[in-house]
Amino acid sequence: MKNNSEEVFGVTPEQLRTIVAEGLKGGDWCDLYFEQTVYNDMLLRDSSVASGGFHLDYGCGVRVLNGEKTGYAYSESTDIQSLLDAARAAGAVAGKPGSFKVGPSIPTATPPPYAMRQDWADADKKRLSEWLLKLETAIRSRCIYPSKIIALLSWSTSNILMYNSLDETTGDTRPLGSVSVTAIFSKDGRTEQRNVSRSYRCGLEMITDSLIDELASEAVKDLDDSFAASRPKGGRMPVVMAAGASGILLHEAMGHAFEADFNRKGQSIFSDRMGQRVCKSGISIIDDATIPGSRGSLLYDDEGVPGQKTYMVHDGILTSYLHDRICAAYYGVVPTGNGRRESFRYNPIPRMRTTYMESGSDGTLQDLIGSVRKGIYVDKFANGEVKIGEGDFTFYVNRGYLIENGRLTRPVKDVNIIGNGPRALADIEAVAGDLKIDDGTWTCGKEQSVAVSCGIPSVLINNLTVGGE
Amino acid sequence: MITETEKTLAAECLEYARKAGAQDCRITLTKSTEDLIATLDGEVDRVTRCADRSMNIALFVEGRYGAFSINKLERDTLRDFISRAVDTVRMLAPDEYRVLPAPERCCHTALTGRELDSYDEAYQEVSPEDRRRRALEAAVFGSGAPLPRNLELISEEGEYSDSEYDVYVIDSQGLECRHRETSFDYGVEVTVQDPKGNKYSDYWWTASSFLRGFDPSDCGMTAVRRAHAQFGARPARSGKYNMVIGVEVASRLVSPLLNALNAYSLQQGNSFLVGSVGKKLFSDKFTLLDEPHIKGESGSKLFDSEGVATEPSAIIAGGEVKRYFVNTYMAGKTGLQPTIEDAVRPYLPGTPGLDRNGLMQMCGNGILVTDFNGGNCNPATGDFSYGISGQLFQNGEIVRPVNEMLITGNFLPLWKNLIGAGSDVRRCAGKLIPSLAFCEVDFSG
Repeated sequence: MKNNSEEVFGVTPEQLRTIVAEGLKGGDWCDLYFEQTVYNDMLLRDSSVASGGFHLDYGCGVRVLNGEKTGYAYSESTDIQSLLDAARAAGAVAGKPGSFKVGPSIPTATPPPYAMRQDWADADKKRLSEWLLKLETAIRSRCIYPSKIIALLSWSTSNILMYNSLDETTGDTRPLGSVSVTAIFSKDGRTEQRNVSRSYRCGLEMITDSLIDELASEAVKDLDDSFAASRPKGGRMPVVMAAGASGILLHEAMGHAFEADFNRKGQSIFSDRMGQRVCKSGISIIDDATIPGSRGSLLYDDEGVPGQKTYMVHDGILTSYLHDRICAAYYGVVPTGNGRRESFRYNPIPRMRTTYMESGSDGTLQDLIGSVRKGIYVDKFANGEVKIGEGDFTFYVNRGYLIENGRLTRPVKDVNIIGNGPRALADIEAVAGDLKIDDGTWTCGKEQSVAVSCGIPSVLINNLTVGGE
Repeated sequence: MITETEKTLAAECLEYARKAGAQDCRITLTKSTEDLIATLDGEVDRVTRCADRSMNIALFVEGRYGAFSINKLERDTLRDFISRAVDTVRMLAPDEYRVLPAPERCCHTALTGRELDSYDEAYQEVSPEDRRRRALEAAVFGSGAPLPRNLELISEEGEYSDSEYDVYVIDSQGLECRHRETSFDYGVEVTVQDPKGNKYSDYWWTASSFLRGFDPSDCGMTAVRRAHAQFGARPARSGKYNMVIGVEVASRLVSPLLNALNAYSLQQGNSFLVGSVGKKLFSDKFTLLDEPHIKGESGSKLFDSEGVATEPSAIIAGGEVKRYFVNTYMAGKTGLQPTIEDAVRPYLPGTPGLDRNGLMQMCGNGILVTDFNGGNCNPATGDFSYGISGQLFQNGEIVRPVNEMLITGNFLPLWKNLIGAGSDVRRCAGKLIPSLAFCEVDFSG
């Protein structure tokens, strides 16, 4: 901690206490969030790595709470006067006393879920350029069709220092490495775009030949089927979702509705269903900060609460919302480590980390497909959206197949699946035993952007609406 | 905002870059402040004070290019940062098309940043008490305003903010331009409940560059009316319908066209409008202009991020595609004529006096779309599928709400089937797109 506070941010423990004391003039809780993030990127386009750069973001956010009311200000300078000014600005929230007070978190013995075996600061940029070019070659070698390939390699390291009015000091060094590929293939006047990505909280050790193989194989997977794909006839039908990236549906359609702020304000469709059955027994839905190297993992959340594994739904019963400190105090529970923010410029709010459903016991993906007479198999979703109040969601199908009499037949694409979160949850008919966490560059955009991940086993949901011709 | 000292510092950074070995450099200095008051159920919930500054540095070194940014604007830190940045650029591959724009294409008229009258001096006089008052006065919750009898207001989240923004751009070829603007914004989201306990949420917002034109008083009730209008929504029968799309969401159908006309998409073959300039692809009724110089409105701009001068132009006229958007780099790569990098203030002119009600009367029967929920457009083909909610209408009158429906099709035939455009644009929106009417749209649900 000493290294972070004094050497990185130039503030002493005594100064931290002074700033917090200033903030407390306006409320009953004050915390500080110091951040220095160095972000680097390199871009491959037209077979050349001819663009790149780095970006330094530095500052401190000061939050004052008066009950559930928030005052927030930040400074891009960490000299004591600027920080005291920010504390005074945040303290402007002062008013009548709040109805509850934020309390401490409970320390956990969770080991750090990430580390840099090779520091990104030691990156040889020429070697990284060569790696990107090798990735492009690997994609082209797997495919006979002409293609345009763009690949972005980015990496960042964030030094974080948090201090609060309970005199708790926590610090973290968060690495994040990501590679995203957009490949556009042409065949007989038709084009097909593929987006593949991987992102991990780790160091330079992620840059390997095996990652190239993984990305290149996925970029060209079933490409002929995609060229042949068309829109199916729309209607209501059973949908089988592939393991892995389909977890985004879990994130959007269910996870957001479990975030405690939406429930505290009565906005979520689940706000009066705690302790009730929300899906069939045997189904458990988790939000987890402890998966080693996962993009959604955190040693501490952005309020200094230890990262942890939270069961939102256990054996079909709604057991926990996702809490930041404010919501935890409101509900009288321990914070779950979900208080997150995009940067020091934002106050923390309840956010997901890595959200997934545990494996089920209903056989394999083939068993699920085999049980459907007429429906859709979705291999890959793109963006989705949900209305929290109603629970209505829409997801775009990048790639999939018709299911006819238990077999995959015609490839389909460019359609939406729409449904309602609670109804879809209740309509989950079968869950296979093949949970897969997807390590793509998932970013959640609820007011602020934060890195998340998601996963799911193959599932069969009855009765979703598929848009089509 | 940006001081003479900071402008001098930016000029010094050009010199640091030159001394470190850069042949050319562009410095973009931005500063902004924002004060925000969020309310929850008629009470102040969050007070936020934001003050940002950033320096973006584009470096051109021995035929190579890199982009960098930093928010620690101290002289020694900047000198070291730029030196390391130049070293980094040297490790990248050469790219002959990475050059600064020709000086004659650049803006020479944005000297003070106030040429477009988008800065309100009254901003400086807004007090913390003013902000609280405006935020609280706009709230419906607890105000005693009459609500529909069958509606319970569960939650109301409002957000008032005022901000100023200042950007200053210089480059090593002598470019110097500046833009300043203020903005006053209010947005609100409500969650309401019907007698059966079903929840519905909706939103509304307004914004203005000037305090005197800023009136958020009806936002909350508008959001409540929109949510109430969805009570009992269910899908309509799948099929082809006339579609009227409300002014609040109509720009969603224009954005994919603008993306497809950008040279980045064209060069990658990721555009359904490759080779489209000079071709009549759309309805006669479809004209889309770029109006970057409208005075007194947020979003108007005299220059783009390269410092290239903007100018009013036709993007689509009478259904014929008139232009692409090609920045300096893409002009080199594609051989296309360089332009500004993107549309600044797209404006779709329609029939004077016509709004969504008039368009529904014109169509007779169809579906009025008032919100989107997810969906996507394939940029290479123009195929789209979007989730929607809105109102079924017959004989020009609303019959009942619809939700959980999709519209599916392709942007080329969709815009060929434009049958009407209103004149009800919202000046507070970034794109000035009015309510629109299309025929033969596939709905499913």
